[in-house]
Amino acid sequence: DRQTLVAVLQFLRRSNLRESEEILRREARLLGDDLGGNVAAVATASPGVAAVAAVPPGKGEDREDCEVGPSSRRQAREVGSPCAARSLGSSPLCWDTRVVGGAVVVEDQPDVSAVLSAYNQQGDPTLYEEYYSGLKHFIECSLDCHRAELSQLFYPLFVHMYLELVYNQHESEAKSFFERFHGDQECYYQDDLRVLSSLTKKEHMKGNETMLDFRTSKFVLRISRDSYQLLKRHLQEKQNNQIWNIVQEHLYIDIFDGMPRSKQQIDAMVGSLAGEAKREANKAKVFFGLLKEPEFDVPLDDEDEEGENEEGKPKKKKPKKDNVGSKSKKQDPNAPPQNRIPLPELKDSDKLDKVMNMKEAARRVRLGPECLPSICFYTFLNAYQGLTAVDITDDSSMIVGGFADSTVRVWSVTPKKLRSVKTAADLSLIDKESDDVLERIMDEKTASELKILYGHSGPVYGTSFSPDRNYLLSCSEDGTVRLWSLQTFTCLVGYKGHNYPVWDTQFSPYGYYFVSGGHDRVARLWATDHYQPLRIFAGHLADVTCTRFHPNSNYIATGSADRTIRLWDVLNGNCVRIFTGHKGPIHSLAFSPNGRFLATGATDGRVLLWDIGHGLMVGELKGHTDTVYALRFSRDGEILASGSMDNTVRLWDAVKAFEDLETDDFTTATGHINLPENSQDLLLGTYMTKSTPVVHLHFTRRNLLLAAGAYSSQ
Amino acid sequence: MEAAKMASPKSAPKDAQVMAQILKDMGITEYEPRVINQMLEFAYRYVTTILEDAKIYSSHAKKSSVDADDVRLAIQCRTDQSFTSPPPRDFLLDIARQKNQTPLPLIKPYSGPRLPPDRYCLTAPNYRLKSLQKKVSSTAGRITVPRLSVGAVSSRPSTPTLGTPSAQAVSVSAKVGAPVSLAGQRFTVQIPSSQPAGKSATPTTPTVQNVLINPSLIGPKNILITNMVPPGAADPSSLKRKHEDDDDYDAL
Repeated sequence: DRQTLVAVLQFLRRSNLRESEEILRREARLLGDDLGGNVAAVATASPGVAAVAAVPPGKGEDREDCEVGPSSRRQAREVGSPCAARSLGSSPLCWDTRVVGGAVVVEDQPDVSAVLSAYNQQGDPTLYEEYYSGLKHFIECSLDCHRAELSQLFYPLFVHMYLELVYNQHESEAKSFFERFHGDQECYYQDDLRVLSSLTKKEHMKGNETMLDFRTSKFVLRISRDSYQLLKRHLQEKQNNQIWNIVQEHLYIDIFDGMPRSKQQIDAMVGSLAGEAKREANKAKVFFGLLKEPEFDVPLDDEDEEGENEEGKPKKKKPKKDNVGSKSKKQDPNAPPQNRIPLPELKDSDKLDKVMNMKEAARRVRLGPECLPSICFYTFLNAYQGLTAVDITDDSSMIVGGFADSTVRVWSVTPKKLRSVKTAADLSLIDKESDDVLERIMDEKTASELKILYGHSGPVYGTSFSPDRNYLLSCSEDGTVRLWSLQTFTCLVGYKGHNYPVWDTQFSPYGYYFVSGGHDRVARLWATDHYQPLRIFAGHLADVTCTRFHPNSNYIATGSADRTIRLWDVLNGNCVRIFTGHKGPIHSLAFSPNGRFLATGATDGRVLLWDIGHGLMVGELKGHTDTVYALRFSRDGEILASGSMDNTVRLWDAVKAFEDLETDDFTTATGHINLPENSQDLLLGTYMTKSTPVVHLHFTRRNLLLAAGAYSSQ
Repeated sequence: MEAAKMASPKSAPKDAQVMAQILKDMGITEYEPRVINQMLEFAYRYVTTILEDAKIYSSHAKKSSVDADDVRLAIQCRTDQSFTSPPPRDFLLDIARQKNQTPLPLIKPYSGPRLPPDRYCLTAPNYRLKSLQKKVSSTAGRITVPRLSVGAVSSRPSTPTLGTPSAQAVSVSAKVGAPVSLAGQRFTVQIPSSQPAGKSATPTTPTVQNVLINPSLIGPKNILITNMVPPGAADPSSLKRKHEDDDDYDAL
């Protein structure tokens, strides 16, 4: 309303209806200064595409008015910068200039069209190159210690200035600007610049969601106070401070006190589409501890009695008195309360499974630098580059492949074949009272090692087994996530919510919940018995390519094509952590078994390690030369295995990578950590396949490493 | 498949060379050779569609030739139609905020397989079996399964027997009374005068000529397919019965 009111006022003023304007102004009690505040507020508002409808029809008259000399024209434009509130606080009018064809038309619709024209003209287009090169010169002549930090400015300034030129339809100036300066940008921005180079007209901008998001979200830079003062002084000294305007409007400068960072430190943490993360984005408390497991005694026979003695089902509140088994563990302060989010109760079959798990764990191989795991590789033959997703059950009994021909194929890894439940007709014939009824309901005639599931209408990009092995999820380019039953091998539900390709999905470690992320830039949390999502995690600037649950099922990590990883709280949908540093879209995530650390892999071939509690990057593992598609920690977290498109599996020493974290005050305050160059020390082994990119990794319960990939012949 | 084996520059047509250059400019270095053909085909099809639309718009505006505005309008309309993009970020943030406010629902223990309500699942049967011809239903409410036959025409006595199967080889059995109960819920492709179904006194009762049953229409919905004959052919004495193909699960 306020915007339309101001727009009407401007229209009245322009049409020289002074009296009516005064009356309206008085009635609305608007003051001239309010306009400035308004625009500043609106300039950060969300983009809508409506507003321009308010263009007054009497545009023609203005053309004559404004055909004044070039110098005064420029002045008029300078007066009309939208961020008047800060730099030119005295100007009550907010003019919005647009270049239409050759003539300059001054339109006063600040608020109404401020939304679309966040890039109004701020100066003569031909001078943009001069402004930029002036800044470049200044930064290059500054002290070494400041230069690295101030160089962070180049990329966002370049993009915003270029987009402004394009938006105001100075195509040739935009092209020459791009030609001249795109080579100066950092190498890791080259992909973005390539996309940018194809945007040459205003119409192109409207369709590109990522660019729109980039334009409206503030690019975050972390600069030390000294460097910032230097920059500010320089920019405010100069006559035409267009760059200062852009900095004010589009950049968020997170100032910290302390030593300026070195180029190496900066390079480690920049690279995402929106700059780095603000420090307060990573300050929320995260419960990264694990939920308490119910206590069991291992022997099988007393299983039923033990069930009564167990110390608490996850769903109920933690009992006040400690039971026998749990005296050793106090409540972990970093662990979420048991009932923070509702979790399904433990069924008998789950308890049996846990007992099996514990028995296997007793026979688990202790891994370490001296004792590396054996690797068993499952190669998918004749897939013709159609294998797009793989998953293996927790007990390593079944493997599923999602394919580009929209089929989902399930194989049995063990000699035991896959059996489905008999048809209703046959089920009526069996003896329901017999002891082995659970075996009798299974159909022997159609038992096979392979079951093919048809249903999707597009390539299947993600698959996930449920922890109790009853269900299978698959997500596909057709925008749906399908739930399949592994007892009847039929499709049960299709969850429709994303209307765009869904890139990844995963069941929660306790079952019942699952998360999916797709092209629409959000991740959704679903429960199997709700046809609509329970939570929507919105915030990424580009597709969500990878989604993983934390072991305690209270948090979800999402990696995105905007090169950031976000950690979301399941309880309320808030983003509690933002991790930047990768230089390419993220394709793999792995939580350490103790829940404290996260490992991420992207197309840049680096594996980054993050401390969730503190929100810091704690390690960088260089070695892969192509996208890292698979990451997995061993069962006790001693070894991190990474598999990549460069046909190798690499094993890294996780224990060593996470020890000796320096967390002094400066580090926690600023989030800057000096990463040692110890990738070579941490690398325990590189294993090459002939020509099979590694798509999936899985440690069995006894710490045997299984890997999967499709043979590709070149 | 082998990586980029582009046609040698001498022999590739100019369009293909341009397309290869475009791919190179966009940073795509490895692609199967047929990608160029696909891209060219897409470009040709897209431009043709746009220009055809632009011609329509320009003739609608009574202009003598197509100009840039027409093309612009055509592009815009096509973009909104086929190249949709995901919702903008503020909209997503807004709905996320709404959705995230509701607390997570509690989980009822011991409730079997946790699936959404049946209408959101894919677990309903999407077929029904034919029952045998000889079966005669005794109760008044029972209706037999109609036999599906393509291209069959038969004339039958006019008795509106419920569920009387045809003793003839060609089976056309009508479901009597069903249409009346179906009106509200079923998906019917029918002729208006067929309402008093099966009460075949009226000479204008439509007759079956050819019933082509599209199996994809058979589903949880009920389908009434009736056909029309030229009214002149209606012979009151022959009393052709309407052939209804009705997958009426619920009425059974």
